[in-house]
Amino acid sequence: MTKQEEERVRVHFRVKRHRPDGSAPAQLTEYDVSLPTSATVLDGLERIRLEEEPGLIYRHSCHHASCGTCACLINGLERLACVTTIAELEGEVITVEPLPGFPVEADLVVDMVPFYRDLDEEWSSLRTSETSKKKSPPDDLKLFSRLEDCIECGICVAVCPAAAEDQPFMGPAALAALNRQLQNHPEEEESLLRVAGNERGESLCQRAIDCSKRCPSKVSPARHIAELRRLVSSSNES
Amino acid sequence: MTEHIIVIGGGGTGAALAYDLVTRGMRVSLLEKGEILSGATGRHHGLLHSGARYAVHDPDAAKECYQENQILRRIAPFAIEQNDGLFIATDEEDREYALRFLEACALCGIPTQQLSAEEALALEPALTPNLLFAVRVPDATFDPFRLPLSFLAAALEEGVTLDRFTEVTGFLEKGGNIIGVKARDLRDGQERELGADLVINAAGAWAGEVASRAGVKIPLQPGPGVMVALNGRLTDMVINHLKPAGEGDIIVPQRRLTIVGTSLWLAEHPDDVETPPDHVERMIELSSALVPGVGEAKIRAAWSASRPLLDDPRWHDDPQQMTRSFRCFDHGELDGRPGLVSLIGGKATTLRVMAEIGADLACSLLGRQELKSHTKERRLPPHRRFFHQLGNAGGAA
Repeated sequence: MTKQEEERVRVHFRVKRHRPDGSAPAQLTEYDVSLPTSATVLDGLERIRLEEEPGLIYRHSCHHASCGTCACLINGLERLACVTTIAELEGEVITVEPLPGFPVEADLVVDMVPFYRDLDEEWSSLRTSETSKKKSPPDDLKLFSRLEDCIECGICVAVCPAAAEDQPFMGPAALAALNRQLQNHPEEEESLLRVAGNERGESLCQRAIDCSKRCPSKVSPARHIAELRRLVSSSNES
Repeated sequence: MTEHIIVIGGGGTGAALAYDLVTRGMRVSLLEKGEILSGATGRHHGLLHSGARYAVHDPDAAKECYQENQILRRIAPFAIEQNDGLFIATDEEDREYALRFLEACALCGIPTQQLSAEEALALEPALTPNLLFAVRVPDATFDPFRLPLSFLAAALEEGVTLDRFTEVTGFLEKGGNIIGVKARDLRDGQERELGADLVINAAGAWAGEVASRAGVKIPLQPGPGVMVALNGRLTDMVINHLKPAGEGDIIVPQRRLTIVGTSLWLAEHPDDVETPPDHVERMIELSSALVPGVGEAKIRAAWSASRPLLDDPRWHDDPQQMTRSFRCFDHGELDGRPGLVSLIGGKATTLRVMAEIGADLACSLLGRQELKSHTKERRLPPHRRFFHQLGNAGGAA
């Protein structure tokens, strides 16, 4: 199959460069690259690394909004570089900076270890597929399953006013995952609500709802937190 | 004495290889020039092959896929949507191919179940009404990031040292032997030398570049292909076209996405790859013939990934025919460069067995053939343990 040439545009990027050893001050560095009109910001970073700056480092893996690694600050908003197209961004320049709220390792790479601090590794990563009910899965499969929505990109934590790096709040992603575990495993209610209701739990949520607004995977952490708040409060009353 | 092995490449192969070697008792350092799983591994569409796709033209690959499918379902259930798959026939040509297909699957030991059009549509109402019949096979979908991440989590837990953003810039030599690598940490620019009893090049589509730094040529051919992710989960089962392997013959549901693909061309450089819009259109057109809703769905992402193909000049005009199998190259025997091995080719589904065979070769080269693989039996930790392990190590990786 032959490849058709696509129309190209020159795109001006400003990318945050950062060296942890302090050998150079953190600064926005300018790059100009030619990209197909359908390119994404991640395509742009790949092109910059290939043609301009082989030492530029950033996180990426799936390129289709499924792994959550490429979340960064693009023109001032937290989003996934792999599904943010250059065409949708306004202005002459595309500015790319590391995801706020996490320690920077170098350039656009942030350390995600703090994000996982309160995410229990055993909490469910699979759920029943919603479409299962409309179909008749074979007896031996019972119900079709699918991966949970959360891709663990860190955006909800980055935008949460209560979850800054030095704050105790366990954050929207952990609470949403906790509530999904509760929905999948109601028998664990007592222990899960104890975690949700602890001194780092739902009570620290400031109800900004930015987590739900910016989530690229429609997890709606704010809704999960509201549900947990109700459950925690009724379990405290009883 | 514990032998030290350096594995170059933190993709699916390197992850499984590091884990296999460390559980045999080796000391292992894993070096990855970028973020972990940022090459072809993570960009994979996520199909856990039942082997049926290869049964007719490559029965060995088919059997291997089926065996690995069963193992991965057991050792990493948390990363796999175990909903099986359908091969669907839409015309008389497909019907004829079905006879060979069913026979070949039976010979490979891959279970099949024939379903009438009505039965298949009851399972998956989104299928084309032109459907003649379908064959159910044990395909599945895995998370292309989390499944290999579980191997890495297990590797770290067993004591593998992982250095991300660390590029191998050259090799250490002594009397023609490879005795280690020179590496640069891209985060701080620091160069260092790391000695080893054996170096294994598992850099996927980038393995040719790595090998060239040791003055060795390997028959690696980057073979990029286009995949398209659509918003919405149109099916739960994997949908294949019941015809010989070709482009645009696969629909893989994943989370709330539907992924269609793939195309294939041959590229000079694994990174110099864009996503041609005509390929995107063609993937959508071809898969709409299987699930019409694909044509109406909104595109979430379109991307390319460079497969690491074993080059075969006979098929340069028809690269779909190139094998998806893998090979170990002992550069001591082949090129007079003892101490260096390359492990290349292969598919995501067979990452574990590829690592096992690579580790068998490594052990025999080190005179430790008594050390056997344990990866078939042990359940892997959930992917989040990777980050918990990094945290325990003080985030030093």
